[in-house]
Amino acid sequence: MVITTLAWIVIGLPLGGALLLSLWPGEPDRALSRAVGVGTVATGFVLSAIVFFDLLSRTPSHRHAVQTLWQWINVDGLRINLAILVDPLSTMMMLIITGVGALIVWYSIEYMAEDRDYRRFFAEMNFFIFAMLLLVLAANFFFLIVGWALVGLASYLLIGYYYDKPSAVAAAKKAFVINVIGDVGLVLGALLIAKTFGTLDYASVFSQAPLRLGSGSFTAEMICLLLFVGCAAKSAQIPLHTWLPDAMEGPTPVSALIHAATMVTAGVYLIVRCNVLYHLAPYVSDYIAVTGAVTLLIAASIAIVQEDIKRVLAWSTVSQIGYMIMAAGLGLYSEAMFHLLMHAFFKALLFLTAGIVIHALAGEQSLNRMGGLHRLLTFASFAMLIGCLAISGIPPFSGFFSKDEILSTAMAAGPLGVVCGTAGVIGAGMTAFYMFRMYFRAFGGPERDGGYHPHPHMCGPAMAIPVGVLAVLATVGGFIQVPGGWHLVTTWLAPSLPAQPSIDASATVQWITSLVSIALAATGIAVAWWLFGAGPERRLAYADKLRGVRGVLLAQWGFDEVYESVVIEPGRELGDAAIRTAEPDLTQGIVAVATGTAMVTARGLHRMQSGLVRTYAFAMIAGAAVVGLIVVLAR
Amino acid sequence: MPWVTVLIIIPLFGALSMGIVPAGGLFQARLQAALAAGLTLVMSLIMLGHFHRSFAGPQFVEHAGWATQVGLDWNVWVDGISIWLIILTTGLFALAVGYLCFRTPERPRAFLALILLAEVGLLGLFSAGNLVLFYVFWELMLVPFYFMIGMWGGPGRQLASIKFVIYTMFGSLLMLVSIVSTAVIAHGITGIYTFDILALRNVAYTRPESIWLLAGFLLAFVIKLPLWPFHGWLPDAYRTSPIVVVGLLAAVVSKAGVYGLLRIGLPLFPRGMEFFQYPIMLLALVSIVYGSLVAWRQPTMRMLVGYSSLAHLGFIALGIAAIDSQAAQGAVLQMVNHGVVVVAAFAIVGIISSRTGKEEIDDIGGLAAGAPWLAGLFLVVTMASLAIPGSNSFAGEFFILAGVFRHDWWAASIAMIGVVYASVYMLRLYQSSMNGPTRGADPRRAELKVRDVVVLVPLISVMLFIALWPQVLVGASSAAVDNAVAPAQVVVGRPASEIHALVLPNPLPATALPSATSSAGGSAQ
Repeated sequence: MVITTLAWIVIGLPLGGALLLSLWPGEPDRALSRAVGVGTVATGFVLSAIVFFDLLSRTPSHRHAVQTLWQWINVDGLRINLAILVDPLSTMMMLIITGVGALIVWYSIEYMAEDRDYRRFFAEMNFFIFAMLLLVLAANFFFLIVGWALVGLASYLLIGYYYDKPSAVAAAKKAFVINVIGDVGLVLGALLIAKTFGTLDYASVFSQAPLRLGSGSFTAEMICLLLFVGCAAKSAQIPLHTWLPDAMEGPTPVSALIHAATMVTAGVYLIVRCNVLYHLAPYVSDYIAVTGAVTLLIAASIAIVQEDIKRVLAWSTVSQIGYMIMAAGLGLYSEAMFHLLMHAFFKALLFLTAGIVIHALAGEQSLNRMGGLHRLLTFASFAMLIGCLAISGIPPFSGFFSKDEILSTAMAAGPLGVVCGTAGVIGAGMTAFYMFRMYFRAFGGPERDGGYHPHPHMCGPAMAIPVGVLAVLATVGGFIQVPGGWHLVTTWLAPSLPAQPSIDASATVQWITSLVSIALAATGIAVAWWLFGAGPERRLAYADKLRGVRGVLLAQWGFDEVYESVVIEPGRELGDAAIRTAEPDLTQGIVAVATGTAMVTARGLHRMQSGLVRTYAFAMIAGAAVVGLIVVLAR
Repeated sequence: MPWVTVLIIIPLFGALSMGIVPAGGLFQARLQAALAAGLTLVMSLIMLGHFHRSFAGPQFVEHAGWATQVGLDWNVWVDGISIWLIILTTGLFALAVGYLCFRTPERPRAFLALILLAEVGLLGLFSAGNLVLFYVFWELMLVPFYFMIGMWGGPGRQLASIKFVIYTMFGSLLMLVSIVSTAVIAHGITGIYTFDILALRNVAYTRPESIWLLAGFLLAFVIKLPLWPFHGWLPDAYRTSPIVVVGLLAAVVSKAGVYGLLRIGLPLFPRGMEFFQYPIMLLALVSIVYGSLVAWRQPTMRMLVGYSSLAHLGFIALGIAAIDSQAAQGAVLQMVNHGVVVVAAFAIVGIISSRTGKEEIDDIGGLAAGAPWLAGLFLVVTMASLAIPGSNSFAGEFFILAGVFRHDWWAASIAMIGVVYASVYMLRLYQSSMNGPTRGADPRRAELKVRDVVVLVPLISVMLFIALWPQVLVGASSAAVDNAVAPAQVVVGRPASEIHALVLPNPLPATALPSATSSAGGSAQ
């Protein structure tokens, strides 16, 4: 089982790196932090590639291996092993995590160069990579949950990286707590699985499920619903999406790696991993598809009014994951994974390019104070353009192939598929509009009033090369899966996806869907140019006319206010009320009764201490008699 | 060798030896106390080394007759449940004494003597083989705590100590009534007059007898735990006691209540437990939710941790009340976890408040900037306390919930509210003290010193070890746990596949331990 050993090393390297950097006495040399931080992940990528090619050389039915390190616990028949599963799905995730991860950590060398806590950054990034690898490689639900929670911890630490900044601290707490709500769903799901199957191992659960659970049975639906609570929290789906935009408080490479390319797609991974279970839960699957569709539209609408360049990208991430979740809910598992892969490329590209801009402008993130950057930051401008074209689904860029495959297959997946597909097509138009709004406002038009001080500078090679690599991938990556041609992702994942339905959209449907979504995207770009490309006058005029709509969108549809007034405030008041009333009255009342009784008894007994031996002797005899009586009577 | 007796006697000698220390002999007092506590720890570890892991019944049994005709004798032993509580006790008391040697309290001789005396009480309690000994040690442990709170506490200590003692004694008096009645009634049924816990196990009390006898015990247990709404002694005692005493109260003394449920409640009075199962479960659930909410809104660090302990003990009690071997096993694991984690949390609270001179959460902030090691270790403890998956506490919590969920899914779901709130209040504690702008004192002064590291590192090592390999602990206790739960499982009609043991194997005397390889005992089916 050499590939599983390799996979263990891939997990262990970043953990070792994180421990080494954290426990290093004193402040380690920056070169050491760099070498460890990047080296462990890059080595992990090379080893993952070896695992990939090893699997590739086998026949598809033999492309899986499980390895147990040790039996972690065994309580009353519920046996949990510390074990990993290497199969096409986990290998694909491993490649994404280490590949994109290595590029982003490399980029961070320069981006974080001015930071005082250099080693802490790399230690926490390595810890994240470790946790994420554990999540995708775990061979049972228990260690999936462990990885799930530890990526939440890493995310918490990195959102709150600037720990002296109150907004970052608050955002970190919000992300953590919402993710714990998700964990609770996941844990309850696991408990139901354990109760139903007596085990938490994937292999055993997935092989028993079709035999023991009927399609649409209550247990199957409940398991899937509970697991989806975890997915919705981690993947920022409505109504548990509010933490992700706030998570942009973290450094930009963190946003790129954790809050765009990898961690937030864990929900998609989990649904795809459990495709056998979700296949048995048609109602919950429909609910998931609708959640994805609603999320992609709402998030896209909010992205239109954001002024912070990173928050535009954050809401676009929510929206893009909506596409994947929608696809997974419709049973289009390999399509969801294809989009996950493409999204990792172009969203990492977009965030890292935004990072170049922010770096060049000394931390400026507001679109209001950008404009005309094309001439000053030409490299970033072209990279951003590629990213925007890719996410907008303009051929031949990567997003076109993956988004189109979801939409056209959805159109062939029954009535709900048509509804969701239509939502996706509309969303594609909105995506093009808000992405190019951002592009034109940052890079197009005149320079901002008063120009830039200091003059924006081009980044160095450590930032430029990863961006260049991602730009190439975002341009040509889509060609690994071409409609009517070859389907490398679907073929590769097939052994992991026994429940993948074989829906083939007819060529006509494919052509119509593609043409409509391209037309809508082109319209979106054109409108964005008309509104934002020329200059601020037209934009401001329209902003004034559409004040009402903008208000709703700027308030992000009011989710945060509702949570504050419905969940948080009542909880706070309940706690305060308990301290004010229940604590002094009830609990201290019980104490008073108990101690009072004791005191009264003591005073009563005190009177009996008469000092007369007669009395004592009488009491003794009487007591003995009573005990004796009890003994006799109890016989 | 009479292991258990020696184990109980060493700290007793240590306590008495404080009497020969001359008035100014600070060094001598520290040395003797450290020797006594250290030796006890070493003894208990050697005992663990000789412990027969898969054996379900009592081991290291020591029996000495005294007034045998009325059922009184010296009868001590350990099994897979008590061995871990004994290790927890000896380990934490050794740490406490070590801490006191670094930070000497006023009147050190008396304080150290009382600490060691408290250890005697707890060790005796966890190894008591008959109800009279159980009662004697139960009360014995109360005395040193009364003096430690009353004489070394902060403002309001008098009232707090009196409330603590009278309230808990009120509970235990009813327990005494129950103990005597148990023996009397058992005599009526079997014709043998005994207080032996093992012998009383097989007595077939009628259902009303079982309920009433258990009721007397229960009140003592839920006050000691405490469970809502019987936690009235907790706020004052935690607020005024020295931090060492608070740590020991939360970590070890609270376990006495749980241990009582597991050692006496479930095996002796299964029918009573059937009756009280849902009431206890309900109180446990209220404790979880209520403790979490109140902890969240506490103004001071130590009260936040104190009320969080109420919630955590609610989880443990829930695991016992579930009458399920998975849940009970989780509860035993969680007793150890909670002990280790809560002591670490109180230690950190103590460090922060002694360095900054402040107790209020809102007065302290931004310490991470100058004290990265403190922030790092505090983060580990915070995560263990809120039971993040992957931590030692999650292992225990998961199995408590798994067992509860099997029969009462709603109870597990309600308990989950506590899981969410745990992250809310623990992050409040962590973030407002460590993060944000600097408030209070110079953060660099809060950085850990060697003496802090000496206390924290062993605790965190144990947490990590259990997180990575809980099977070590579980493997050595599951047979005993199965045995303790089995009678009640039968009464409440659990499926046969979940019941693993009913008949206890013959006790193993200390002198005749089987070799560890032979599985002569095992869990008799």
